Amino acid sequence: MEFLATGQEMTLMDKLGILTDAAKYDVACTSSGVERQGNGRTMGNCVASGICHSFSSDGRCISLLKILMTNECIYDCKYCLNRCSNDVPRATFTPEEICTLTMEFYRRNYIEGLFLSSGILQSPTFTMEMIYRTIWLLRNKYRFNGYIHVKAIPGADAELVRRIGFLVDRMSVNLELPTAEGLKALAPNKHRKNILTPMRQIQNGIHANKEELVVYRNAPKFVAGGQSTQMIIGATNESDYQILNVAEGLYRKFELKRVFYSAFVKVNEDKALPSLPGGPPLLREHRLYQADWLLRFYGFKAEELLDEKRPFFNVMLDPKEDWAVRHLEQFPVEINRASYETLLRVPGVGVKSAMRIVAARRNTNLTFADLKKIGVVLKRAVFFVTCNGRMMYPVKLEEDYIVRNLTNTKERIQFGSDGMTYRQMSLFDTGSFLREPSQAERVTAVMGQL
Amino acid sequence: MWVYQCEDSLEGIFTGIYNAYEEKREPEDTMLSLEQELYLFADYQTVKPDGEKAVKVMRTIKRRFGEEDYMRICLTLSAPAPEKAQAVYRTVALGLSQKGTVFGHLFDNLANDYVHLAFSLARGAGNENCHLRGFVRFQELEGGVLYSKIAPKNNILTFLMPHFADRFPMENFMIYDEGRSLFGVHPAGHQWYLLGGSEVPEEAMQLKLSDNEQQYQELFHYFCHKIAIKERENYMLQRNMLPLRFREYMVEFN
Repeated sequence: MEFLATGQEMTLMDKLGILTDAAKYDVACTSSGVERQGNGRTMGNCVASGICHSFSSDGRCISLLKILMTNECIYDCKYCLNRCSNDVPRATFTPEEICTLTMEFYRRNYIEGLFLSSGILQSPTFTMEMIYRTIWLLRNKYRFNGYIHVKAIPGADAELVRRIGFLVDRMSVNLELPTAEGLKALAPNKHRKNILTPMRQIQNGIHANKEELVVYRNAPKFVAGGQSTQMIIGATNESDYQILNVAEGLYRKFELKRVFYSAFVKVNEDKALPSLPGGPPLLREHRLYQADWLLRFYGFKAEELLDEKRPFFNVMLDPKEDWAVRHLEQFPVEINRASYETLLRVPGVGVKSAMRIVAARRNTNLTFADLKKIGVVLKRAVFFVTCNGRMMYPVKLEEDYIVRNLTNTKERIQFGSDGMTYRQMSLFDTGSFLREPSQAERVTAVMGQL
Repeated sequence: MWVYQCEDSLEGIFTGIYNAYEEKREPEDTMLSLEQELYLFADYQTVKPDGEKAVKVMRTIKRRFGEEDYMRICLTLSAPAPEKAQAVYRTVALGLSQKGTVFGHLFDNLANDYVHLAFSLARGAGNENCHLRGFVRFQELEGGVLYSKIAPKNNILTFLMPHFADRFPMENFMIYDEGRSLFGVHPAGHQWYLLGGSEVPEEAMQLKLSDNEQQYQELFHYFCHKIAIKERENYMLQRNMLPLRFREYMVEFN
């Protein structure tokens, strides 16, 4: 077969280069979620919080050996570098090569484990079988006890998904685009149903496994680290409100551990893709992650952060500050009396600070100096809290006044190493800066009528 | 005021705490010091580290405050700050004087200056420990032994070794703390132990790498280079997450 012949000529280094380069847009690479002690005989253990082994030059954490099994692909998704209509060098790892690389890197403490995805070779089931063979070898012959994260290929046989689930710590299926229309436009070979079916299967498998574990403590674990998924932001024109609703639905209906957002990076020239003159939408991705944290840890709901009339995030204020400024009737909050849930909603108070405040105020009444010691960001919180009935500075609980102060004292947001900053906005900007100018607007700009 | 001069070690400081309690001193009027500083109107006493007394203090702390708080106290004492002894003494004294359940809540009262100081020293040491668990890099030597060098600000080798001993039970590995001349040694299948640098002969320090070590270092270097997305380049973020002082011993930055 053709791909085997090229496999003989390429060195391991070449293959690693091609297949790492192909896998780098998959951001779902964490080593967290599983606590597993070593078994005293073979190599490997897992730490619940995950361990970051290094950081790449784009600032992201390198924690797992993130590779594709092969970058051959029969699909033609428009946003993907490895689509079958692109002429890029193709390579495929053998299962032994992957296992050896994983074990040798792990011994030297370069990585926490393996992250294996793949292009589609021949068919989804065929590809998934190759992956299964590799993981089975890694766990049973090489006896690797560290972290393994595998991507399930949509459309593969359910039995394969089930068997692999007992060997790995986390399994995920990429949603790719937030809506079915977006998926049809940019990835015509992938169908929403094919993506949601394995997600449901994994969810049900985890449930069934939890009940088995209650009965028999040493039963084999199925996907102990839970599921995650990934969406591309900025390739299609969904609003932030739509994306956040999709994420909230996923957390509720599929009980995912994490949803990842990947800013769209333009690697192909294609008329279906946006041109993005300002580079990848990094600020938008950042705001989405902030909102995602609010949903998961701060008790917010998607409809509190955004709605139909304001479907995009505020550029100057983060989602929590934005919510606080729009709901000034709930402030100021008295630090020594408020409940934990109320404290969480104050800008400048995070989960750790809120827990420490609740613990410390059992012993003494807290003052602003104590809050600073605890780690509350007073620059933001002063407008919203009182200690023993008094505010730190006289503050008018008025939207204009607070927004002006919050955005003045804030450091400039820097995204990208060119130090690009944002100009001062008025309160009437809707924040939808990513809308492309229409043809009529372009014409009037050229003619000098704008 | 009564000042106890302790040696900078776990045994020394615990013995100091034992002595302060044995002689029934008032915590507000007592100080545990690591330095030779002189105070006006103070009485001095040098504390000789005593293994038995240290073990008694350790048992009391574990019984009254729990394993987790005991670990935090050990982390505080691994920091290089001279005020750590006094901070730990006053924190422990505060905890022991409270009648109610203070089990697991020793560091809750962050409004107290000494508790806060002990807490932030422990936090700094704990963070460095977590960083190093990821940033330690082993090199395979000729005999198949894995060898690594680190240079931490805090004395956390004792916290690193159990993690790697659990992870690589059948490997021979060594971690060398350059700043303190301390070796952590783990023979395959056995208990790990510490070795002082002065006890190691000179010729053992000449180390030769195994044959394919160079290949794996190059592979990993190439991997880290290829995995970055150029359009998202952000060296400042990388430096925030991975401070420059760790990079000297990391193979992908050399």
